Amino acid sequence: MTFTIDCRDKPTRAINQELRGAIDTGQRDIHVQQPDGRHNLGVALLQPVRVVFDGSVGYYCAGMMDGAHVEVHGSAGWGTAESMLNGTVVIDGNAGSGAAASIRGGTVVVRGDAAARAGVSMKGGTLLIGGSCGYMAGFMMQKGRIVVCGDAGEALADSMYEGAVFVGGKVDSLGNDSVYVDLTAEDHASLKELLGTYRVPAPKAFRKIVSGRKLWNFDRKELETWKAAL
Amino acid sequence: MCGIVGFLDKRGGLHQPIGRTMLAMLQALSCRGPDSAGLAVYGPPHSCWIVRAALPTDFLLATSARQSLERISGHGHVRRHEFDGAYVRFEINETLPTPADVERWVSEKLPQVEIVSLGHQLDIIKQVGSPEQLEASYCISQSTGTHGIGHTRLSTESRVDLSHSQPFWAHGMPDLATVHNGHITNYHKLRRRYEQKGHRFYTENDSEVIGVYLRDRLTAGLSFEVALRSSLDDFDGSFSYLAATADRLAYVKDRYGFKPLMVAETDDFVAIATEEIALRRSLGRDFMAREPAPGTLGVWATSLSKAVAEWPRN
Repeated sequence: MTFTIDCRDKPTRAINQELRGAIDTGQRDIHVQQPDGRHNLGVALLQPVRVVFDGSVGYYCAGMMDGAHVEVHGSAGWGTAESMLNGTVVIDGNAGSGAAASIRGGTVVVRGDAAARAGVSMKGGTLLIGGSCGYMAGFMMQKGRIVVCGDAGEALADSMYEGAVFVGGKVDSLGNDSVYVDLTAEDHASLKELLGTYRVPAPKAFRKIVSGRKLWNFDRKELETWKAAL
Repeated sequence: MCGIVGFLDKRGGLHQPIGRTMLAMLQALSCRGPDSAGLAVYGPPHSCWIVRAALPTDFLLATSARQSLERISGHGHVRRHEFDGAYVRFEINETLPTPADVERWVSEKLPQVEIVSLGHQLDIIKQVGSPEQLEASYCISQSTGTHGIGHTRLSTESRVDLSHSQPFWAHGMPDLATVHNGHITNYHKLRRRYEQKGHRFYTENDSEVIGVYLRDRLTAGLSFEVALRSSLDDFDGSFSYLAATADRLAYVKDRYGFKPLMVAETDDFVAIATEEIALRRSLGRDFMAREPAPGTLGVWATSLSKAVAEWPRN
């Protein structure tokens, strides 16, 4: 059974309290209507519930959550799903800067474009972007994967430690110490599964970017590399 | 912080109810800028200069300014005048041919007042406080016109008063106004350079330099679009700013995308705001909004741009 929350004429705190109250009373499928770009909606959801935002949301939607399934039938502002532990966030429109920053697990899907600094400092999980992304996506990522079906902006995957970035379109430029490698058979299979699961159209081919690992250890001989990275 | 908004009605007509829309946008962004609120509206073109000037806050100075105005109004250069809250709004004949002539004349006759806007269409109203208070003082929701820009201010470095509030009119350039969210970090350098070239600064607010810069570039013969583009190279720091002229509305966003900005365009309107919440609250849900890429700008012309471009006729 679906539980409905109408955001009209309510402050954000009241909406989030209503959301928590509904979850506490056992509601597992909650529709939030007329979010109209409000910030901080659905932050820290810790139960396996489905929450659907019936319109665009503002900043930090579904941040710091663990295990919920969140859908946004519109666009999302900055810092969507930031620091998420687990769960899924699916945004039908575009996402603002810093989407899926610092997530540790789970999956974030942006069907449209993601702005700058998507997936920075990821420590696990998956960020899937159906369109293109802005500059410095995957900056200092430590684990997990970013999949961009369209184009990627400048300084892609700058100073990444670990993890992988896959891009279907053109890359404006790679960041410091990130390199192209060939896709493995497992990569092809897992990408196919991921795109199939979320019904995101696949590009003709993907290129894979990983850490060149030159910045892992300090080497006096490579002082120039370090200077450029810092 | 700070909130900026812009709106342009594409349906044509000189009396679109843009004040109502822009008030709703400003209200949605009032938490981003509780210090002051302001609105610049472009109404139908006048055949004379329309000037809005702030009266002095000092009672005795204000009284003497009022007396001077009563004396000079209705003949000579001043066609007529009206008092409006903290302002006096007057119409000045084009017997004073340039904005510089108008400013010089006003500073001679009424040294107590501070010109806030000047042009054939532009009218800027701003004050310390919230958008609600601005509405209570000046009924800005009743304003009509073709397009406009607005601002809610969170002061960081300069003082909180009417002079330092936005929008800013770019002194010397009729109908050119700007609103800014961010911080121009090479402000002092630019200000020194422009002061050496003879430009005067009226406030300590770094945002004022945007109008001075654009005026300088336009005077040097650059088109509006090229002047905006060159500002991406010449300003340091964080900025999303809007600039408007008699027939144009534009946004410019810094290369790093430090400051948010959302744009929505339909067949009927172009709406720009710091946050999407301002677009949804004022215009509903039947359109997509997008966040422009860092280092980009957008310029829209009013449907009357051809006619307006010929104004004033020589």
